[in-house]
Amino acid sequence: MRKGFAGLLLIAIIASVLFSLRAYNKEPLYHSQSYVFGTLVDISIYGESEQRAKSLSNQVLQDFQRLNNQLHAWKPVNNNQPSELGALNAAFAAGKQPIAISPQLADMLVNTTALSVKSHGMFNPAIGHLIGTWGFQRDEFSAVVINDEKIKALVKSKPRMTDIVITNNTVYSNNPNVKLDLGGYAKGYALDMAAHYLRQQKVKNALINIGGNIIAIGQHGNKPWRVGIQHPRKPAAIATLDLADGWAIGTSGDYQRYFILNGKRYCHIIDPRNGYPVQHTQAVTVLIPPQPGAGVLSDVASKPIFIAPAADKAKAAANIGIQYFMVIAQQPISQRSNGQQPNAEQSNILVSPALAKKLDWLDSDVKNNSHVKVLTLR
Amino acid sequence: MLKSLRSARSIFRYLLPGDLLTVILSMVAITYLFQTLWSHQHASKVQIRLGDKIHATYDLNLQRDVHVHGPLGDAVIHISQGKVRFAKSPCHNQYCVHQGWLTHAGQVAICLPNQISLELIGEQKPYDSLNY
Repeated sequence: MRKGFAGLLLIAIIASVLFSLRAYNKEPLYHSQSYVFGTLVDISIYGESEQRAKSLSNQVLQDFQRLNNQLHAWKPVNNNQPSELGALNAAFAAGKQPIAISPQLADMLVNTTALSVKSHGMFNPAIGHLIGTWGFQRDEFSAVVINDEKIKALVKSKPRMTDIVITNNTVYSNNPNVKLDLGGYAKGYALDMAAHYLRQQKVKNALINIGGNIIAIGQHGNKPWRVGIQHPRKPAAIATLDLADGWAIGTSGDYQRYFILNGKRYCHIIDPRNGYPVQHTQAVTVLIPPQPGAGVLSDVASKPIFIAPAADKAKAAANIGIQYFMVIAQQPISQRSNGQQPNAEQSNILVSPALAKKLDWLDSDVKNNSHVKVLTLR
Repeated sequence: MLKSLRSARSIFRYLLPGDLLTVILSMVAITYLFQTLWSHQHASKVQIRLGDKIHATYDLNLQRDVHVHGPLGDAVIHISQGKVRFAKSPCHNQYCVHQGWLTHAGQVAICLPNQISLELIGEQKPYDSLNY
């Protein structure tokens, strides 16, 4: 009898342990979504109490909102106060009178100028007038009347980051046609800012996603954070990959901000050399190893690769120090290296060897269809 | 009472420690399998978010039209046979409507202007966040 009782007790204990383990298994994952920077901000925090995770993510969102107000390219803070960037643009247009700016904005200008030079001007936040002409400085994007003459004139006015002169937090522009639009930089900057803040607050595990640009801290429990890469033409992910501690990923696509006019797609990524939206590329994804400014690079680095024509994309990536990238082109990419003529069987997806090793393909067309091949650079 | 105790005792008399272990282990296995397999829901769901709040979560197998009132106005979300899509939206570009049907866990459709997002939830999340 005793033995049997002990046995039953043992079973009861094991069962209750299993039950409690299951309850414990409900992971300590906090997830919040919000709308800032005209896009979706998605924050996951793992391993903190819900209360703490909530207050931390609220702080991050407040910081984002402040940055958004400071850097907004077309919206004033309120009726009689432009954003800090708006005031700066007004000063640039008015002439060479230097104006005082915050040390934070001064740092950003130094940083963006360096990146612009490194990308040979393909990343050019000084072309705000061009972006506005194409109607992408609005909350919603409708087709514009394309004014070829005006576009030509704006390109000819050569707004460049190097026109800006910064000394001791005062700044002026040698070229009144410079109009800053940090749309390709601010989200990345915000990622770095948030990651820095959360690490400072001793958060071990978090994933921050601002409109598709993502940075990882730690991991998701006992496995790395996993991210999906959106297919540019399907409502699904094309591939997934693990994002380890400190890594960041960003994609520039023609499918988030665009309008269609006479059957042609005009996206928000404008080639600063001719002033027209890029039409040969659907998406460029860059993966950034841990480094200071990884978030910024995840935002900025995809632009020069997006803008460069097929033959120059690898070079554009190298210029800005990118090893991990993927291009989804409008047309099949021909690999000239092996002397073949481009044909319909060739893929429109180009992946650098470093990134190819990290990707798990989800898309059945890419996985199963032998006509769609993933080409790799040598 | 006494009789039943005695008969229980007689059963245990013939049990060897190994037998007892087998009984215990199989009960543990049954408990574990029951918990992991039985309690999972096989039907996928759609989670609708409005702004920073979870607006509602619906089973995908029940056909229905869900009306969600966003900052711009009413959006209609159509749920049918394990799929979901934006059927109508007051936004200008209609990117959300053009996205079409979502069918697999992890897929999302976002209407930025009207601040409504749909996410398909399955038993397993294929990824934590989406890069787009």
